[in-house]
Amino acid sequence: MLRMEIALFIVLAFIAYIYFSAEKKHTPLHRTFSVLLVVTLLHLIFDGITVYTVNHLETVPKLLNDTVHRLFIGTMMLIFFLFYQYIAILVEEETGKPRRLDPGARVYLVASELGDILLPVHYAVTPDGNYSDGIHVIFCYISVAFYFLLGTGLLLANWKSIQKKKKMAIIIATLIELIVTTLQGFNPTWLISGMGITLITLAFYLILENPDILRAELTEQKMSMLYLKSQVNPHFLYNTLDTIRIQAQLNGDKKVAGLLMKLADFFRLSVKVNCPMVALDDETQLLEAYMELMCYRYPELNYRYDVDPEFGGVQVPNFILQPIVENSLLHGLKNRGYRGEIAVSAQKTEEGNLEICVCDTGSGFADGKKAEVDNMLLNYSKQEQKLTGNSIGILNVQKRIKLMCGREYGLWYTENENGGVTAHILLPMEEEK
Amino acid sequence: MKKLRVVLVDDEIMIRQGFRQLFDWEAHDCEVVGEAADGMEAAAQIDSLDPDIVIMDINIPIMNGLKVIQLSRIKHPDTAFIIVSGYDDFSYCREALRLQITDYILKPVDYEEFGVCIDNLKIALFQRKSTEETAEPEERVINSIVRYMQNHLAEEISLSVLAEEFHFSTQYISQLFKNEIGVNFLAYLTNIRMEKAKKLLLSTSLSIAEVSEQSGYSDYRVFTKVFKKSEGITPSQYRRDFLEK
Repeated sequence: MLRMEIALFIVLAFIAYIYFSAEKKHTPLHRTFSVLLVVTLLHLIFDGITVYTVNHLETVPKLLNDTVHRLFIGTMMLIFFLFYQYIAILVEEETGKPRRLDPGARVYLVASELGDILLPVHYAVTPDGNYSDGIHVIFCYISVAFYFLLGTGLLLANWKSIQKKKKMAIIIATLIELIVTTLQGFNPTWLISGMGITLITLAFYLILENPDILRAELTEQKMSMLYLKSQVNPHFLYNTLDTIRIQAQLNGDKKVAGLLMKLADFFRLSVKVNCPMVALDDETQLLEAYMELMCYRYPELNYRYDVDPEFGGVQVPNFILQPIVENSLLHGLKNRGYRGEIAVSAQKTEEGNLEICVCDTGSGFADGKKAEVDNMLLNYSKQEQKLTGNSIGILNVQKRIKLMCGREYGLWYTENENGGVTAHILLPMEEEK
Repeated sequence: MKKLRVVLVDDEIMIRQGFRQLFDWEAHDCEVVGEAADGMEAAAQIDSLDPDIVIMDINIPIMNGLKVIQLSRIKHPDTAFIIVSGYDDFSYCREALRLQITDYILKPVDYEEFGVCIDNLKIALFQRKSTEETAEPEERVINSIVRYMQNHLAEEISLSVLAEEFHFSTQYISQLFKNEIGVNFLAYLTNIRMEKAKKLLLSTSLSIAEVSEQSGYSDYRVFTKVFKKSEGITPSQYRRDFLEK
């Protein structure tokens, strides 16, 4: 039987490793589960040792045997308390009602632990194997029954207000507790308490404490925060900008008014389209609003857009041109003091695809930078999803093109003969059906 | 020409003030005769003033702009409603189209573009009037000039071409447009070219370059620019939007 304890220990140790290395929220529930994992691992060690010592009563000193037994039973009762505690916190999280049974459970825990230390241990010797029995073990069964009643009581009392998944976890745990304890009660030589405890811990882990689920919850929370932050009501934004613009114009400041108008345009366009694919015309409009503002800020910056209007309806991934142009500005033209030109053109390739070129007259690639960018764009899928950095924009564009149009399409850079770089974007020539 | 009377409806005083002071009403033969800040006030103003034009915001207190138009339509069938809204929303546009509004423009309002909107309104008024007059035996000069323009849209049309064709001075023809229609010659020409282009975009499958050619623009880039300025969207967007919906 010792082999089973070792196997259980290895499984649980593995789970504990995964659990503790994963990112999670620090709530009372997760803290309780962490304690439960550690205590269960300890318990399994004592369980394994007692399985050995109880069957070698002649060779093992009685004091050692007793001590290990007391530890084994003591941790077991602590575990049952923790099971109850876990269920109680779960119910509290769901219903918002305070845990009124806790003091009772704690008093009982202290009483049973005292009993565990003080009461004598007795061993039954049978041909099928030895086990401990007597007052000590009866205490154990009473503990199980006590916490079981508390747990099921909580479950039944709050049946309607608990989420289905959590209800299921509690039901499975209490059922395992009931079945394993009954089996153990009728077959004292089976020594399956360790298995029962491991199974219950596993049930909680798989249903409620799985790092994947926790991570998903965590990401969702982060995302919704971001979402809320970025969700200033757009109409509030345009309307306010418009009011400021009119005031500026009333004050006779036509320039400020014009700029505010363009800024409002840019905002309107960038929040308007939230679908993954848009018409090239929509992309162009956004780019134009952006470039007009940039050209105003840097008067020596020029912008040329020369695309056959026939391509205007071609479906392209949303928000691909602006990041490319921004990249050209920040890494090319900025080094030239924003003196120069950005030209956007498009043509149909021999294969019938659409190739958009963003050509700048900036400083071009620094030594070795071209290879770095080429490599990054070629191995786009292996790149870490960083949330900051210089190349995040173009990498993101590359990823989205590959994802939405297919792997044969994408983004690459070439160097111009007379300085500067050209970004090439290859896309399928598809109009909306 | 009699001045067109305008009522401004917007719940923001700044927007009304902007319209009143920043748009050159005088130059467009218009005058602002009333203002309203909510739907109820708007309906009352329209009833008592019977304006030619109402500049209407949709999202206003008590009763929204579309409701006001719906109510006022019956009693004031000739009033032109121009919706000015921050909502670039198709359901609003559809509702607005059903109410036969004259134009739908988006905030923020560019007052220069707004002038085009008023010009288009006047041209529409003139065209409606001239179709009613066709029964007359003696045709007025302006009517034959605009008919000539309509028939020669794909060619180059300028004041001097018209002057030669009709044996008047260019100044006279220019003045004729101003007096009879209330807009200048170029605004009228652009308007009918755009109307032609729109018709071609929706009823034919001609390429943008061909549409541009047939509506009198030899360079499609110029055409696209003018079209975008007048309609707010590019020709291909225009075609797509309509065919989709």
